[in-house]
Amino acid sequence: MQFTSESVEALVEQFTKLPTIGRKTAQRLVNFVLKMPREEVEEIARALIAVKDQVQRCSTCFVVADRDPCPICSSEKRDRSTICVVEESSDLLAIERTGEYRGLYHVLGGVISPLDGVGPDDLRIRELARRVDPSFADSEAANVSAADAREAAESGEAGPPEVGDEPHAGDGAPAPDDADGADGAGEDEEAEVEEVILAVNPNVEGDTTAYYISQLLEPMGVPVTRIARGLPIGGDLEYADEATLSRALEGRGAV
Amino acid sequence: MILRTLRLRSFRAHDETTVELRPKVNLLHGANGVGKTNVLEAIHYVCLTKSFTATNDRYVVRQDAPYFEVEGLFEGVRSTETRVRLVYVPSEGKKVFVNGAPLDRLTEIVGMLPVVVFSPEDHALTAEGPSERRRFLNNILSQARPVYMDDLMKYRRARKQRNEVLRQYKKRPSPPPDALIEPWTEKIIMIGSRVIHRRNQFLHTFREYLVDAYERIDAVAEEPTIEYDTIDAFEESTTESEIQKAFRSEVERKREHEHQRGTTLVGPQRDELVFRLDDLEVRRYGSQGQHRTFAMALKLAQYLYLTDRLDTQPILLLDDAFGKLDARRTDVFLELLMSDVIGQSLITATRRSPFAKTIDFDRPTHGSMHVTRVDGAARVTPEQNRGDDASTEDASGTATTVPESPVQEQQT
Ligand SMILES: [Zn+2]
Repeated sequence: MQFTSESVEALVEQFTKLPTIGRKTAQRLVNFVLKMPREEVEEIARALIAVKDQVQRCSTCFVVADRDPCPICSSEKRDRSTICVVEESSDLLAIERTGEYRGLYHVLGGVISPLDGVGPDDLRIRELARRVDPSFADSEAANVSAADAREAAESGEAGPPEVGDEPHAGDGAPAPDDADGADGAGEDEEAEVEEVILAVNPNVEGDTTAYYISQLLEPMGVPVTRIARGLPIGGDLEYADEATLSRALEGRGAV
Repeated sequence: MILRTLRLRSFRAHDETTVELRPKVNLLHGANGVGKTNVLEAIHYVCLTKSFTATNDRYVVRQDAPYFEVEGLFEGVRSTETRVRLVYVPSEGKKVFVNGAPLDRLTEIVGMLPVVVFSPEDHALTAEGPSERRRFLNNILSQARPVYMDDLMKYRRARKQRNEVLRQYKKRPSPPPDALIEPWTEKIIMIGSRVIHRRNQFLHTFREYLVDAYERIDAVAEEPTIEYDTIDAFEESTTESEIQKAFRSEVERKREHEHQRGTTLVGPQRDELVFRLDDLEVRRYGSQGQHRTFAMALKLAQYLYLTDRLDTQPILLLDDAFGKLDARRTDVFLELLMSDVIGQSLITATRRSPFAKTIDFDRPTHGSMHVTRVDGAARVTPEQNRGDDASTEDASGTATTVPESPVQEQQT
């Protein structure tokens, strides 16, 4: 479809970069923007930039927050012996809304998905292992990263792996290289982690990521449990209602 | 389960069509290409969210129309009346509404409105490659058990992920490291074994349905059998964990081979069914007639199995299924359609007369409709029963303006 205005076409194209937005929806959004007062459009533009400039990640749990450590990691009231592992910051917020969970979190930044070019080392899985067992060395984890694999693919005949519509690991800040943030809230004796709860989505990639993590943590002797069994098949954690999520948290089981 | 009313909008040759159906045999007759099969396809969309012919949804939308819509009003599903509507918009995909409420996932409808199709493409079941037979298997099991389809879709996804890892290491000297491949291997073993376990159990049960179906359509005393060719030979009592074990050792055995080929070489995606009549392998040595009878028996057995399993009679769609049948088999089959064994059925054919001899369209349980093209769009015209005419109005109405017209066969 041709537009008479180049800037309209440019904005349509920008909107389609967002997940779940097709051309039709993008056109609808542009029409809406055209009718908005200039001040409101400026507000949106400013908010978009601010989110990139001002928001950072907690160096312990990797949630997006305005300060580091985040309010949850620095709170005295949270139970430091439990870590709930989620895919994205939005999942953390969903669980917080239930008010049922008083432990800490760990945001993976996605799930393992070779089709999206995401391997175990593209996620914050090693950082999780170090939180559970500070003596955990990198060598114990996968020595081969998916980046390696990508190289292999590019050097071969076949092209690079296709990137899907929803990049799982592409949510911004890269994971820190060193273990500098791994000690968390300070030099004090950290409470021992006694349980890791995996709250990844109940789909094929979520299941496989949960399996990988449980295998990795198994030698550390910390029980690893999995919630979301009560969620509807194919359901998305982020969109589950609070009652369902609360039940799922209570009814967690071994992986 | 009975389909009372079907509505099609912008669906292939149909602009806007409403079809009222009878509880037993419904005949749609008319020239080739006027849009008879479209009516059966529309029913298939409502029941299973897709066509029975391999087709892209896009091409189902009538030319220049923005979307298509089909709606069925069913009796005897869960409540007294169930209204199922499927809408397809090319840029947005398909949506299904049951009594007005949208379904979260399309697949929720599968199994609720069972349907079985006989079509000329059935010959591929016995004559062509293994994927045809796996599709047959998946169709029955998906309708019989919703979890099966869920497993199947998960399995496909996990296998795709695993294939991607294998593909990336295809040109490398060593296979993918455990950390990358093992979680996916584990996943395909777990789900794949569940799929194989269900198929294995089903095929053991299905055997007797096939024998029964074969006897009903052919008097010859050959015994039809199905052999399930999968990762190993399994008994009816073989457990899921035994299948997992076999799966695991097969993956181990094929490790180097998978590395070379860069793809998954073990699993239900490679299953095959071998059809036999006594000792004769139908695919290789069957005569034309044996192929035809075997394929029909498979479909009839599917019907009988789903009837038992779901405790309701599926809708039977017969798309041009009588064209190549001899007179004797046609009669046997029509008798079956009128018996209690089969519930509601829809038949497409070019001519009405061969059916009118056996089926009494004067009875209110059966109906016949004439399909024509008017101004480029399909039109379905019900032919009134003689009984109706007598009780309601004079035969000067539609019945005389729409006579059965073998003349129109010359079109296309
Ligand atoms: Zn934090």
